[in-house]
Amino acid sequence: MSSRYLILGMTALLVLFVLASGCARKIVKPNAVPQPGFVGPQVGGPVLEHELQVVQTSLQPIYFDYDNYTLSPEAQAALQHNAEILRRAQQVAVVAEGHCDERGTAEYNLALGDRRARSAVEYLATAGIVPNRLSTVSYGSELPVDPAHNEGAWAKNRRVYLRVSR
Amino acid sequence: MKRNLAEGNYRITPGNGFFARRTRIRGLLGLLLCFLGILLVFCPSSAQCRLYLDLENPNLAKIPIAVPDFVAQSPATLNGRDLARIVKNDLYLTGLFDIVEGSPPNPQNPTDPPDFDAWSQNGAQALILGKFQVRGDEWVLEAMLYDVALKKLELGKRFSGRINDHRVMIHKFGDRVMEKLTNVPGCFTTQIAFVTDGQSREIFSMDFDGHNLRQLTQTGSINLSPEWSPDGRGLIFTSYLNRKPDLWALDFTSLRPYAISARPGLNASGRYSSDGQNIALSLSFNGTPNIFIITPQGNIIKRLTSGRGNDISPTWSPDGSAIAYVSDHAGTPQIYIIPVNGGDFRRLTFQGNYNTDPKWSPRGDLLAFTARIEGRFQICTIRTDGTDLRVLTKVGTNQEPAWSPDGRMIAFQSNRDGKKLIYVMDARGETQVPVSPITGKAPAWSRTGR
Repeated sequence: MSSRYLILGMTALLVLFVLASGCARKIVKPNAVPQPGFVGPQVGGPVLEHELQVVQTSLQPIYFDYDNYTLSPEAQAALQHNAEILRRAQQVAVVAEGHCDERGTAEYNLALGDRRARSAVEYLATAGIVPNRLSTVSYGSELPVDPAHNEGAWAKNRRVYLRVSR
Repeated sequence: MKRNLAEGNYRITPGNGFFARRTRIRGLLGLLLCFLGILLVFCPSSAQCRLYLDLENPNLAKIPIAVPDFVAQSPATLNGRDLARIVKNDLYLTGLFDIVEGSPPNPQNPTDPPDFDAWSQNGAQALILGKFQVRGDEWVLEAMLYDVALKKLELGKRFSGRINDHRVMIHKFGDRVMEKLTNVPGCFTTQIAFVTDGQSREIFSMDFDGHNLRQLTQTGSINLSPEWSPDGRGLIFTSYLNRKPDLWALDFTSLRPYAISARPGLNASGRYSSDGQNIALSLSFNGTPNIFIITPQGNIIKRLTSGRGNDISPTWSPDGSAIAYVSDHAGTPQIYIIPVNGGDFRRLTFQGNYNTDPKWSPRGDLLAFTARIEGRFQICTIRTDGTDLRVLTKVGTNQEPAWSPDGRMIAFQSNRDGKKLIYVMDARGETQVPVSPITGKAPAWSRTGR
């Protein structure tokens, strides 16, 4: 019982943290450090839906330069943050969704999105996340978060989004 | 899809005034022509030469052609102007014809010969006349192609069928006109499949001129890169039906999609070889997207590339001996060609830092592709030896070229009018026309006609 209350309490703390730090989909702050004492689901027991939600909202998107799948220092910082969260949420699996901005051709962007997702997953694996918790899917330029046709939108759309599952 | 069309050579009935007269003078004229034949070889631009378009000639002059309204020989639900417009548009889209508008008055009697001198004064060198009759939901079309200068009937065809099939019947006549004038039949009964560009990403097909729109998929998921099977009986495409990019097939008889390749990672940009026995595609289950060849059932035949770059968008040479594809292993996406039966790849494109979407011409000599030029994307062609790079589009962003099966036209996607539409242009880029009635991208041209 007490561990359940602990989890709920921590969850509440995390929600506050998430609210305080704004939407999870904004541009990564390089100095965004995981809140100490964060808990996702602890080892053992099924993962509850709201716990999954908590992990989801605390993961940060990873952004890329145009026509590029290498990880910038900012992207690496976001992945460090994400790796820390995933280390604490042992039973959560993630699909790395690779995306591109609208410029360029659809098929090449599909390959580029695949490589972006793989770059992110390889970094997480190096950071100690068990590879069988990680998978990739490329959406190329098919699913922009911002449909506008300008630099601001393109920067937001060149991303890897980590989607959690049980 | 096969229509029940009766097609036969349109026979000229003896006793018809004009043709009877022609028969009388045919002997004399023939002798004269034989005599002039040798001279004609040395005067290819002479108006007296037989109408012929030499497609190998880089300085090809367009043929001015007149297509006046077809004449109804009985009260009809079809409009003669609309009917003439179908073949007029077909010929216009090839970029090989100048359409001569305005016409001398139709002869009083439809059996009278055309007034060739008047047509000639109008600037027409070729003339298409059509007359039709409607009976119930059937109709009969008689269509003629004349050489105006020689005052000669080059082609007469009679078609009969259902009124609902009238467009395809007129397209078939256009195919024969092309065959007569270029030695290669047209492909005006072919179709273009494409993906809608909006909330839904379903695959549609339309006649190459944009008519006869049909929805082929209703998956509710993202669908990409449609490709016709060479026999025209189905499509392959990349779909996220299972929430990841897998290669799917759709048979037009069952209309039920089934997965061909659903390996981890990408199963993308599938393309049939001309014989339909192989599919080249990009698979990334090994870590990076590489080009593989699989059977139409999905079994891997061989792995073609093994570089560490992204390899995607394969396209077969018409003889099946080589595949061109995109790779960024040298830092930027460029087009490479690799022999299918072993051997090294070679780089085809060197100009600019973004060349994608290669499509091998059915004639074998050219590749069409997308290039980024001054920040925008344009359709280009290049010879397979890397020479003769031509930029065919100038306005807006233009991507995803697809050859017509006769190699004369290219469909592509352009946003030049504010939204993504499918355009068709001739292979020299002189005539560029939007054809899709709805937004679309990723055009694929069928290799068979209706």
